Amino acid sequence: MNQNIYQPINGEIVDIIEESPTIKSFVVVPDDSFRFETGQFVELTLPGEGEAPFTPSSSPSVTDKMEITIMKAGRVTALLHECGKGQKVGIRGPYGNGYPIDDFAGKEVYIVGGGVGLAPIRSLFLTLVERINDFKKVVCRFGARTPEDFIYKSTVFDSWQKIKGVEMKLTVDNADGDWSGNVGVVTTICKKEDVDVNKAVAVICGPPIMMKFATLRVLEFGFKPRDIYLSMEKNMSCGFGKCGHCMIGRYYCCKDGPVFTYEQIKDYPNIWD
Amino acid sequence: MERVFTSELKPLLDAIARSMDLYVPVKSGDHYVYTKYDRSDATEVQLNNIRACTPVKEFLFPLRELAAVFPEPGDPEDVKAFAVLGLKDCDVRSLEILDKVFLEPEFLDEFYQQRREKMFIISTDCADPAGSCCCTLFGGGPYSENGFDINISQIDSGFVIEAASDRAKEIIEKNKRLFSEVIQQVLDKRDAIRQQSRRQLEESNAEYELGAAVNEVIEKNQDSDVFDVESQSCVECQACTRVCPTCHCFYLYDAKQKDYFGKMKMWDSCMRVGYAAVAGGANPRKVLGERIKHRLLHKFSYFLDRYGVDMCVGCGRCIDADSHKMDIRKVLKKLSEEVKV
Repeated sequence: MNQNIYQPINGEIVDIIEESPTIKSFVVVPDDSFRFETGQFVELTLPGEGEAPFTPSSSPSVTDKMEITIMKAGRVTALLHECGKGQKVGIRGPYGNGYPIDDFAGKEVYIVGGGVGLAPIRSLFLTLVERINDFKKVVCRFGARTPEDFIYKSTVFDSWQKIKGVEMKLTVDNADGDWSGNVGVVTTICKKEDVDVNKAVAVICGPPIMMKFATLRVLEFGFKPRDIYLSMEKNMSCGFGKCGHCMIGRYYCCKDGPVFTYEQIKDYPNIWD
Repeated sequence: MERVFTSELKPLLDAIARSMDLYVPVKSGDHYVYTKYDRSDATEVQLNNIRACTPVKEFLFPLRELAAVFPEPGDPEDVKAFAVLGLKDCDVRSLEILDKVFLEPEFLDEFYQQRREKMFIISTDCADPAGSCCCTLFGGGPYSENGFDINISQIDSGFVIEAASDRAKEIIEKNKRLFSEVIQQVLDKRDAIRQQSRRQLEESNAEYELGAAVNEVIEKNQDSDVFDVESQSCVECQACTRVCPTCHCFYLYDAKQKDYFGKMKMWDSCMRVGYAAVAGGANPRKVLGERIKHRLLHKFSYFLDRYGVDMCVGCGRCIDADSHKMDIRKVLKKLSEEVKV
C-alpha cells in the first residue's frame, strides 16, 4: 500500500509567540518525525477548516518541533490566529526546493527581507549561523513598516546583531519616537559597497512589491540573475505539482520552488503579482 | 493481440458484466453519457459514433472525493474492477496523459492508481466523427492501436474484437463459443472504414492545419492580442476545463463531518478568476486573456516540456461545450497567422 499523499501527519500547537499586531509564531510538535530543509514549505491544516502553505521559520536542525510564523492575511490564517495552545493541526510536506546552502559556501550571503518575509529568512539565517565560518560574511538588510511590525524583535534588535560574521542593518517605513535607525523602504539601506557581487549571492523575501524593487536594486549592484534567490509566494495547494494553482510559467512553485533564482523566472509575466 | 469476430455484441457485454460493473454510452439528446449496463435489458447496445460528452477522467478522478481523514486516517476505499465501453482513441490517449501526472512515482496518487488498475477499457472505432472532432490535428486518429484491453470495430456484418491485455484474452478464451475467426475480407472492410474516418477528419480539419509546431505557435506569439480578443466573448463558464479529458486541476478543501474531519479534493478550473490568487491579495492572472493564454501554454508548451506530450488529444469537447463557441482550433490558427512563427 502506498502512502496517501493527501494525508497530513498529526501535530499540536504547543506555544504561540506574538510577534507583531498581525503576526504570530506557532510552535508545532508533529506526532511523527519531521525533517525539512531550510526554504522548503509545509501545508498546515486546521482540521475541518482549511489548509495553507508556510515556510517554517525555525532551523531544520531542530527536529522535534518547528516554528511557523503566520501573518493574518486570509480566512485560514485568521482562524489560526484564534487558536490556542493544545490545538491539533495537520502537517503535510515538506515540499519543494529550499536554499542551496552548500552552493553559498565560501561566498558572501546578502539577505534582503521585509515584513513576514523574515520567516523563511529566519530559518535560513539560523542555518547559516550554525556554520557561519563557511561563509565570507552574512549581510542582512531587513525592513518593516514600523518598529512594532518587526518580527523576532528580541533577536533582530539584539543578539543577531552581535554574531561575528553577520552585518545587519534595519529600517522602517514609518518611525516612532524610540527608533534611532534608518527610516525608508528596505532598498534605502542596500548599498553596493556593502557586498562584493562577484563573490556573493543575494537572497530576497518579503511582500511582492518589496521583492520586485529589491531584485531591481541588487541587479543594479551587478548581481547576476542566477545569483539572486527568491522565495516565491504563490497559491500552493497540493504541494507536489498536480493541482496547478501555483504555476509560474512552466514551473510549479510548490515543486520546482518555492526558492527560485531570478534567472529561472524573470521572463514570465506577472511574477510579482 | 488476439483478434476474433462476432455478429452480436450483447453476449460479450453480458459476459464482461457478469464479472464486473460495466458502463456503456447511451444517447442523451445530441450527446452520449455513461450509464451502468443492465444485462436484463434485451436491447442491443448501440455503439457511440463519437466520444461521450463527459470526459473519461470522471471514472478515475471524480468531481469530488474524500482525500484524507483526521485525526485517524480512514481505511482505503476498496475499488472493485469495472469496465467502460466506448472509449475513443482520444479518450485512451487522455488516460496516458493523466497517468503522467497522477502516477508520477515521487508523488503517486493512490486513489487514481487504484481505479486505473481496476479499469477495464473497451475502446471502439469512430465510424463517423463529429465536426468538432480534431484528433488528427493533435497526433491522434479515429481508432486505437494500443492502450485498451479490448477494442471493437463495427462493420456491417458484426464486430471485430481485438484483445490486448491478459484480462481481455482470458474473457475471449472463456467465451470462445461466441466468436469466429476474422476473415481477410472483414479486416479489409474494417480498414476501409478506418481510412474513410481518417479522411473525413483530415478534410474537416484541413483549414486548421497550422504549418508549424503548436508549442512554437503559442510560445512565439505570447504578445498577441488574440487572447484578449477571445476573452471578450468568453463568459468564464469554465465548461472547457470541466469537459476536457486532460485538464486535471483540483482544489483541496477541509470539511467538518459528523465524526471526523475530511480533506476533500474537487475539480477546479484555471479559468476561474480567483484560481491563482493568494490570501495576501496578489493574483498573477487577474485578466481573463492571461488565463486563456496560460491554459494554452500549459497544454501545448509547459506540459510538453515536462512530460514530452501535449496536454490535448483533440477530442473537441471544449468546442461543443463552450457557451460562446470559442474554438481552440480557430484560436491556434489565428495565432499561427501572426507574423512571428
